Order: sequence, then structure tokens, then C-alpha cells
Amino acid sequence: MSPKASNDTSIDALKDLLIKSEKEQIQKIQTRLDDPMIRATELSSFLPEAISLSILNNNKIPQVIAPIINETIKASVRDNPKIMADAIFPALGPGIRKAISSIIMGMVQSLNQVLNHSFSIQGMKWRFEAFRTGKQFGEVVLLHTLVYKVEQIFLIHRESGIVLDHVVAKDTIIQDPDLVSGMLTAIQDFVNDSFQMTTQDELETLRIGSDTSVWIEKGEHACIAAVIRGTPPLDLRTQYKKLIEEIHIKSGASLENFDGDPFHFAIFREQLNQGLQSKEKKQEKKTSPLIWCIGIVLLSAIGFWAVHYYQTQKVWHSYIDRLEAHPGLIILSAQKKDGHHKIVGLKDPLEIDPATLIKSTDKDRIKLISHWRPFYSLEPDFVLQRASNILNPPPTTKLTLVDTLIIAQGEASDNWINSFLKSAKTIAGIEDIDIKKLRNIDKQNLKTSLKQLSNLKLYFKNNSTQLIENQKNSLTQISELFNDIQKLKTLLNDPVKIIITGHTDSSGTEKQNLKLSHKRAQLILNNLIQEGIDPSFLSFYGIGTKTPLKKEIKVNDRKYNRAVSFKSSYTISTKGRKI
Amino acid sequence: MIKKKVCLLGAFAVGKTSLVQQYVHSIFSDKYHTTVGVNIEKTQIQIQDTAVDIILWDLHGEDEFQHVRLSYLKGSSGCIYVVDGTRKMTLATALNLKQIAENTIGEIPFLIIINKIDLKDQWEIDQSTINEIRKKGIQIIETSAKTGDRVEYAFEILTKKMLEK
Repeated sequence: MSPKASNDTSIDALKDLLIKSEKEQIQKIQTRLDDPMIRATELSSFLPEAISLSILNNNKIPQVIAPIINETIKASVRDNPKIMADAIFPALGPGIRKAISSIIMGMVQSLNQVLNHSFSIQGMKWRFEAFRTGKQFGEVVLLHTLVYKVEQIFLIHRESGIVLDHVVAKDTIIQDPDLVSGMLTAIQDFVNDSFQMTTQDELETLRIGSDTSVWIEKGEHACIAAVIRGTPPLDLRTQYKKLIEEIHIKSGASLENFDGDPFHFAIFREQLNQGLQSKEKKQEKKTSPLIWCIGIVLLSAIGFWAVHYYQTQKVWHSYIDRLEAHPGLIILSAQKKDGHHKIVGLKDPLEIDPATLIKSTDKDRIKLISHWRPFYSLEPDFVLQRASNILNPPPTTKLTLVDTLIIAQGEASDNWINSFLKSAKTIAGIEDIDIKKLRNIDKQNLKTSLKQLSNLKLYFKNNSTQLIENQKNSLTQISELFNDIQKLKTLLNDPVKIIITGHTDSSGTEKQNLKLSHKRAQLILNNLIQEGIDPSFLSFYGIGTKTPLKKEIKVNDRKYNRAVSFKSSYTISTKGRKI
Repeated sequence: MIKKKVCLLGAFAVGKTSLVQQYVHSIFSDKYHTTVGVNIEKTQIQIQDTAVDIILWDLHGEDEFQHVRLSYLKGSSGCIYVVDGTRKMTLATALNLKQIAENTIGEIPFLIIINKIDLKDQWEIDQSTINEIRKKGIQIIETSAKTGDRVEYAFEILTKKMLEK
């Protein structure tokens, strides 16, 4: 043994002595590193943790593995497509089934609606709309028939059932959302437990009656539950799906570590509110023909009533106008009461009957009740008319009124004038009288008769009390005049007296002549008394040849003095009035 | 406003529903207990400045015919296990339920309520048993659903625990 060899051996021995255990460990490590099987076994034990750590730290694993997986899948599908088909079938099947069932449900729904509306008038309208707008008929039908209202939306923490947010449509009656959400979650759990649902087959829709449904759109930690009345469009569900996905993307960590405070989820309030959609159907109620008939009848009745009312009002107002045009009528009140037209007023007795102012055809239109009380109108026409009626002036007398002064003009009998003077002032509206231009016809006649009488003579035969021939007419005329005068005198209470004077011619003695003239006058007086003339206003004298009627120039003139003449005389004027 | 889900668990007829009936708000009828196995109720507890809405999941009583649906326990922030002091077995049921719940959803704030304190003379559960359990750090509150005694207090205690967690 060389010294070197001896040294090596001793070093080895020393090494063994010093680092024997380490050496053995190094040997083991060497063996582990060299043996691929051992390394693979070891790697397999911590590979999952290593991948987890890598994902947590820098997440490079997916980037690294993705191309490998892609290539692997490609190779696998290329080599044996069946393996991949078998592998994805369990996942693909439910997905496809779900998609197809959704589409079929929608189609069935559409088909029902199309069938319902194809042959109706509404359907025709929609066909025209489809033609006009270029849309498909089914689309137009859906557009018009999907009537729905999303009443409430719950955003629910799936695990606890606690409401994270809750929005409600206007005018919706709600129960406590926490309780509803809790029970909804419990029911989902109940259904899942009871029917051993897989995660893909969870409860999606609750249907209540034929009208209301609850759509549940789930995310991993939260779900949206929408309470909907009516038939919503299917794309609404897509909208909810997108929303729940967005909520998870934005607040996934808050959801996962939910501590009971829903405050963090208020940021989705606006989007939840947008989900409260509704579509209202136009209220196109068919109006029953009966309603139309009733409407027409009602309208006709209203129209008839309006025309009748208008005409009635017209008749009424025109009647009032006519009444007001009459000064002898004063309307105190005119009103419509209890279906009657009632007038209360004053009526001058001289005024015409107010009832004659309304046409007989209009009488039926207004049920008129009139109460007219009498009164004296002081209108000049009425005062004058009233005066005429009361005083009854003769046709020769004209009455006029100036304010309260009544003027009588023309001629009137003494009687009437007396009556006028006595009565006129008692008439309402007359205070003064004027008769300056009124002649008394009786006095006029008396004057005329007296004048006529004074012009008449009765002629006698010579030296005789016998009237000459042809005097009978004069005698009759004189007798009539006396009669007239006597009547007028009595009427007028006139004090006139008539003197009958007897005359003779100048032949014979004065004494004889006086006697003869006296006889002649007496003869006529007697004759008049016989005719019924009152002798009290008569007197007679015989004056012989005194005061001859004609100067006797010729013999023939004598016959004019063989006569009786008449003249009137006044002794006392009782009334002081002269004619 | 904080909202917390609290499950009310216990054996059949321990008085879970009676316990909360006096001051909870409910819109569902009791028939949900038998049909769905749960009734949801709500009450509000004020802890200092914080108002907490307690959403109570009053689960159907555990008995030999019907078991608690474990899925209802998900997402709970707290649990109340209700025991009938006059029936010793109900304590065992409660402890068993506690174990099941913890296995299902993990440990969460809880407390045990022993009800029917108004019938304490008839109790089958003695004080030593109660003390034993308390030694394990489990909070037990004795209440009376009949008189309402300490019911609200129990809820306040649990709520504080939940908020502290």
C-alpha cells in the first residue's frame, strides 16, 4: 500500500467518521435525482399545491397550460372524437336541452298567439302592419300581445337567503321582502333536496296561477328573482342573466364573503330598476251595440232636451219682452220653478189680457202660471183712456192730456160738461181741467132758437084776431121753437123769459088798437099754453101802434104791423155764465 | 342595516315557535313547518348604534319522523338550539343538532336556550348538567316562552356574538 493510498483510505475513514450521515443523505438525494420514477412520484404529491400557489402568485399556469391543452384536445379529437364526445356529453346535453326547451317554449307561445289572432279583425290589422313595416307577422303578434309587468325584483344572497336589494314597481302591494326572500330560498332548497336536483336543473321559474310567475336567474353566490305578471318576452331573462353576471364580476368578493350588510349592493339599484319593465296592452274594449244604442238614445234625448230647452227659453224671453213692452203691465217677478214658468205682476184694467200676448202654439211649450194684480197706470195714454171710459165724451168732444191737465175741446152738451167738471178730477192722474175751448151745445141751441123766434112774426087780418092765410106753418114752427126753448131752458136752468107782443096798424083808435093788440098777444099765448108751453116764462103785451114793426109809408105796409112778435129777455143770470 | 340569518333548531315541541311568536314579524302560516320544514320570521335587535335585522329560520322540530333539512342551515350567521327543560332528551337532541350543524356549515356563533323556566320545578335537566355544559364554554340561557322572560335578552346575546365575529 502506497502512502497516498493509505492517506486516501484514512481520509475516507475520517469522512465516514465525520459526515457519514450527510453522505448517506447526499447519496439518497443523488439516487432520487437520478431516478425518474422517484422524482415523478414525489412531484405528483406536491404538484396540486404548486399549481395553486402559482395561480395565487402570478397566475401564469393557465397561460402556460392553455396551448398545451388546446393541442391535446385537438390531438385527442383528431385521434378519437368519441372520447371527447363522451366526455362533454354530460355537460352538453343539459345545456342543449335547456336551450332547445326555451326556444320551443317560445315557439309554442308564439304559435298560440298567432293562432289566436290569425283570423280575427285584429289579426288582419297586424298582417297589414307586418306588410307595412316589413316585419314578420309573428314578430308583430308578439309585439302586441306580450303584455306583462315586472312587479318586484329581489337580489338575493343565495346561501343565506338574505335580500341584498329589492326594487318594486309603482302601485305594487308587497310583503316583507326579507321574509319572502327567505321563504323563496327555503323553497328552492326544499325543491333541490326533495327532487335531488343537480346544479344545472335548479328551480328557474315558479308559476302562480296562469298569470304570475317568479323568474329566478342564478349566479354563483347571488340570484335575481323577478316577480312578473303576464307574459314577458324571453329576452328579459337574458337581461337578468347579464345583470347577475355583471353583479358577480363587480362584487364577486363581497358576495363570497357576505357579512350581512347589503350596503355594498346598492350600486346595482339602478340596473335592478331598469329590470322593472312592463308593457301595457292598449285598452281596446269592444263596445257593445247595446251601449251604442243607449249612447245614441242618450245623445238624442240630450239633443232633444237641449233644443226643447232652447226653444222654451226663446219663447219665455220673447213673452217677457212682449209683456215689458206694454206700459200697463209691470212684471214683479218672472222665474222658472218646479217645471213651471211663473209670473207675478201688476196689470192696469185697461191693458190687454197678457194671456193674449203668447201664441197658442207656444202655450203648450211653457207651463205658465200668472198672477196679475190690478193697478192704475199713470202713463198718459192710460190716464186719457181711463178718462174717456169714465167721462164718455160725445163724438164732438176731444180730450187731450198735458201732464196732469185734461183739456176738453169741441162741443158738448150741458149735461156732459157738468158731469165732466164734476168727475174729471176724481180720475187718477188728472189734477186740472181746461174747458176753454169747449162749447156748450145746449146753450148754443137755445141762443139759436131764441134768435129764430125773434125773427118770426104771426100776421093777422085787418082789425081781427084771426091769422091771415098761410100762417099755419109759421104757427107750427113757432110752436116747435117754443117747445125747444122750453126744453133747453129747463135743461140749462136758464132764466130767459119770452115776451109775446101784440101789434096793430095805425088805422083805428089807439084804444082799440091797444085792446086788439092785447087780444092778439093773448090769443097766441093761449095757443102756446094749449100746445103745452109753460106760461111761467111767458108774458104778453099789447102795444097797439107803439113801436111798429114796419114804418107805414104805404098803405100796403100796414099789414106788417098787424102782427105778434117775440123777444127774449133776461131778468137774473143764476150762474153768471154767458153764452 | 345589517341582516343576519339565524337558525332556530331543537327537538319537537320544545317551544321554538312559541319562543319568538311574541315579538317577531311573520307573514307565513305555521303549515310551512310541516310542508317545507321551515317558517321564516323577522325581528329587529338594536345593539348600541347598530340595528340588526334578524331573519329567523324557524326550522321544523327534529323528531324520529322528520329530520332537519341541512340545506336550510347554509348561510346562517348564528344558531339557537332550543331545549325543553322538562324533557331531558331534548338537550341531547340539541347537542346532536349542534354537532350536525357544525359539520355542515362550520362553527358559527350560537347559544343554547333552555325553555320553560316557568315550569322549573318539573325540569328533568339538573343544574349540574347545565354547569357541565357551561364549562365547555357553551352559553346557556334559561327562558320562558310563556312569560317572555329573557327571550329578548337571548337574542341580544346572540346578536352581539354575531357582530363580534
